[in-house]
Amino acid sequence: MLSASDLAPPAPPSHRPRPATVLRVAKGVALVVAVAAVLLFPRLAADPFILSVGVVIASYAVLATSWNLVGGFTGYISLGHAAYYGVGAYATALLIIKADVPPFVAWIVGALLVGLLAIPIGIAALRVRGASFVIVSIALVLILLLVFQSWGSFTGGSNGLRVPRPFSADVLRPEQHERFFYLHIALLSVVLLVWWVIDRSRFGAGLKAIREDEDKAESLGVPTVRYKLIAFVLSAFFTALGGGLYALWFGFLDPIFQFSILIGSYMVLMALLGGVRSLFGPAIGAVIVGVALEFFKSRYGDTQLHLVATGLLLALVVLFMPDGIIPALTNLVNRFRPTASSIQEMTAAELLQRDRAERPSETELSATEVADENTAVPR
Amino acid sequence: MNSSKRLLFGVLVSVSALAVTGCSQGGGATKTVADEVTIGISLPLTGDFSEPGKGVQRGYEAWAKYVNQNGGLMGKKVRLTILDDQSNADRVASDYEKLINRDKVDLVFGPFSTRLVVPAAQVAKDYGYLFVEPAGAAAEVFTKGFGNLFYAAPAVANDHYNYLAKTILAMPISQRPKTAAYASMDDPFAQGTAYGLKGKLEAGGIKTVVNEVYPPDTTDFGGIAAKIATSKADIVVGGTQYQDAVNLIVALQQLNYQPKLAAFSTAPTNPEFPKAIGDKTEGILAPTGYTPGAAWPSNVKFVDFYTKTNGNAPGEDEANAWTTGEVVAAAVEAVKCADPSPKCQAKLIDYLHKNTVETVVGPLSWDKDGRPQGAHLIQQYVKGAIRIVLPEVQKEADLLYPKPQW
Amino acid sequence: MFSGPLLLQSVILGVLLGGLYALLAAGLTLYFGVMRVVMIAHAAFLVLAAYLAWFFNRQTGLDPLLSLAVTVPLFFVIGVLMQRVLMSRLRPATLTMMSVLLTFAIAMFIEGMLGFVWTGTQRRIQLSYSGASIEFFGARIAVVKMIAFALAAVSLAGLYLLLKKSRMGQALRATIQHKEAAQLLGINTERIASYGFGLGLAIAAIGGTALSLDSTIYPSLHWRWIGPLMAIIVVGGLGSIPGAAAAAMLLGLAQSLLQLPMGTTWAQTVFYIALFATLILRPQGFFGGRLAQRF
Repeated sequence: MLSASDLAPPAPPSHRPRPATVLRVAKGVALVVAVAAVLLFPRLAADPFILSVGVVIASYAVLATSWNLVGGFTGYISLGHAAYYGVGAYATALLIIKADVPPFVAWIVGALLVGLLAIPIGIAALRVRGASFVIVSIALVLILLLVFQSWGSFTGGSNGLRVPRPFSADVLRPEQHERFFYLHIALLSVVLLVWWVIDRSRFGAGLKAIREDEDKAESLGVPTVRYKLIAFVLSAFFTALGGGLYALWFGFLDPIFQFSILIGSYMVLMALLGGVRSLFGPAIGAVIVGVALEFFKSRYGDTQLHLVATGLLLALVVLFMPDGIIPALTNLVNRFRPTASSIQEMTAAELLQRDRAERPSETELSATEVADENTAVPR
Repeated sequence: MNSSKRLLFGVLVSVSALAVTGCSQGGGATKTVADEVTIGISLPLTGDFSEPGKGVQRGYEAWAKYVNQNGGLMGKKVRLTILDDQSNADRVASDYEKLINRDKVDLVFGPFSTRLVVPAAQVAKDYGYLFVEPAGAAAEVFTKGFGNLFYAAPAVANDHYNYLAKTILAMPISQRPKTAAYASMDDPFAQGTAYGLKGKLEAGGIKTVVNEVYPPDTTDFGGIAAKIATSKADIVVGGTQYQDAVNLIVALQQLNYQPKLAAFSTAPTNPEFPKAIGDKTEGILAPTGYTPGAAWPSNVKFVDFYTKTNGNAPGEDEANAWTTGEVVAAAVEAVKCADPSPKCQAKLIDYLHKNTVETVVGPLSWDKDGRPQGAHLIQQYVKGAIRIVLPEVQKEADLLYPKPQW
Repeated sequence: MFSGPLLLQSVILGVLLGGLYALLAAGLTLYFGVMRVVMIAHAAFLVLAAYLAWFFNRQTGLDPLLSLAVTVPLFFVIGVLMQRVLMSRLRPATLTMMSVLLTFAIAMFIEGMLGFVWTGTQRRIQLSYSGASIEFFGARIAVVKMIAFALAAVSLAGLYLLLKKSRMGQALRATIQHKEAAQLLGINTERIASYGFGLGLAIAAIGGTALSLDSTIYPSLHWRWIGPLMAIIVVGGLGSIPGAAAAAMLLGLAQSLLQLPMGTTWAQTVFYIALFATLILRPQGFFGGRLAQRF
């Protein structure tokens, strides 16, 4: 029986694999399966309609993950993120139509323009927090709606804007769906990568400090204004990329459908549902919500009950699963595992070593440790 | 929170969700029976366009019933599959994708509203389908290169007021109005009608003193009415849908503005209109593509059948839907095919480009972009009832000018 | 330029509009002050009240204002229950984000139910005096707009008296100003918060009924009001009712006058421009309200 005064660390039981390794293997296998499923989806899809639904869900995943770059890291909830989605879509379309820019170049350039625009907007909007920030984000999308509707000569206004197809006329519609599905997945991978890199960086730690307590973070030396702005601009850029890709795929833009608070709130719902603190959370939320929307529509489509159902889903998530569906489910599962005893039979240092080996992300450094140069802890 | 477990759960959930989507979507694909002609339609049954959307639904259903009672299409029974697009452009496109790919319908009919027609027509075009639609009338619909699109009504939005323009400009100088006020909703159809009239009147020398455009969700018309009332314009023209016309008229009444002529699109053709503006309808004009009283042979049968099955006369939305059915049926019977193959659909499209079809709104023919070559009638409330007043050859009552006070 | 009569008419319209806006926005700022909650569902409740007034008028043929006798107490109770059952469940750490999402969910729920029960058809109450107006120095004032203004004036005056003179009102103001201090004084802030919520919704009932007199209503109408109302309460200062009223009058007047040169669509942008200006120049609002700093 071990006691706290034993100095030698306990020998790890070598006769059976540690739970952490089993889990890691399972995690790897699951990841491979998931990637394979996603890549093979166009082949597996029963018909082009399902494929088009897949494109829509992939688009949602891009938007939700891009939103999460600012919403999840900094805690600034933007309900009007559809603004960047809409402007990205229109920028791409207008560059192609008015300036004869090749479609995919226009896509990137359009998103860059939105990123540039996001700088002054961010400087102004990020001056306020919490509820005021939410109100500002809503106001932004509404004012853009008004502008794009009224400036008909430039944007097509309420008549809508037809976006020329990027692929030649002999690429049939089902194949278009397939190509855009892969494009969306590629974009999603990039955004996920960006999220992952930020998550592990000092920048990311600073953002999370802002989320926990902005004033304390500032007093500890985190350059809050600069960090917030960078996250904001990155998020706007990727959301605009998502919007531009949608424009190229769907082919028709109408201000009333692009600049809608409803889209913005779907983004938030998806990120929240999946879990804002995890890499794949928003993407998983996007899949769940996308499938749910299709399901509600085919079940209750011709009455307004689909709105009721979406509202209930959102309310349920907020009230009972505010950390996201995955943490909630995992907590449920954890209830049935043998609980750890409260009396520790190892020293704190050994405990830390064991935890770090098993669950690296939970032992990530807090803002104070990052700021403290003396804590040079190996990862 | 353990990120590996999180990931595991997440991956499992998403894979199963994708599988669910892939396999069991919406009740499974419907199998087409060999002796049936299936027709796929997406309509706004909920959301902002739901009121006229339901009217179009009634029209389509009545048409299908009538056709089935009278020998069917090429001897086969007709079956409609109607989906609800919730007045949303993304949904309408995905609905037609579903109808064409999953349900494998033989033919498609168009949805309601210009905003929804364009994305839907694109889907139909990509799959080679004929696209006859009852409600996309704005000029923009016909400039997008949709060679497969046909509008099932007499005239496009800009030509709705043609007969009225001609009549006004033909009035003797002493009687003719000198100034005009225009208020239109920022909607391609509504605005199209008003601007069509405006262009012709301006060219004829009638000065535009007020030209207001308002967003579709405007409910307060006090400011616009104030401008119109203080301008004391001789005539007021509304490029309107339904409730905005009602609100505008009430606002004008509140300011005691009395024009010599008042014309509004869409609203006055709605049966609720008189009650909504307090029965002060005398003299209000509106363009209409349809009148139950028209003597076209198929119309007589239509009104008869519809009244018997629904208890009241059909309105313009129902008539547009019925016309769509008639047009497609004419092409099918002539070309003798009704299947999803691009070859058949191309033959149908070709037929309609080259021929005239007899419908409940008269004979229809189209140019290469799908614009119908007819003209809308002008109706007016005379002695409390709707009467056709223009063109002269079809009038049921004389044009009432100037308008009595409301 | 613009004629005298047109300007006068616009000024009158602006004042009447401002009064209506003040009534509609008052409740919104109250929820914020009491619980730091951004109640996105407020506009949806306005539309719900309007529908109830319309339904009452259609079923009974009586004047819709009489429905206030039922809707005001009903909405008060709903407000109290909402705060007790839903809002108090939210964790204080993430209150803002969660309350936004929760009230958004409630708004969607209401919109869905309205559409389900009464369909998407646009409705308008038709009263014998809908088109009537009174002459005023060459301009005309619509009777229904005057009634809405009177309702606003009476309600806001009543609210003011309630907050200043009654014990509950004073406790409410204390809770708004400083929750912890109020608790130290022995005020049951949780209960007071629920009353504050109920009060906000009761005012929404009055506002919705006033709206129904002269406006078309349809289930998705609330989207059109969320933006302007939020702008009004930010400009006025979050948590301050006199601030909201003053901002409402100012913006109503500005919108009405700007319609003359700029047209309806661009005139609507005045709300958002004012909002951005406020946040840049004076984030806590222009007309009082010290709460809008770090929330």
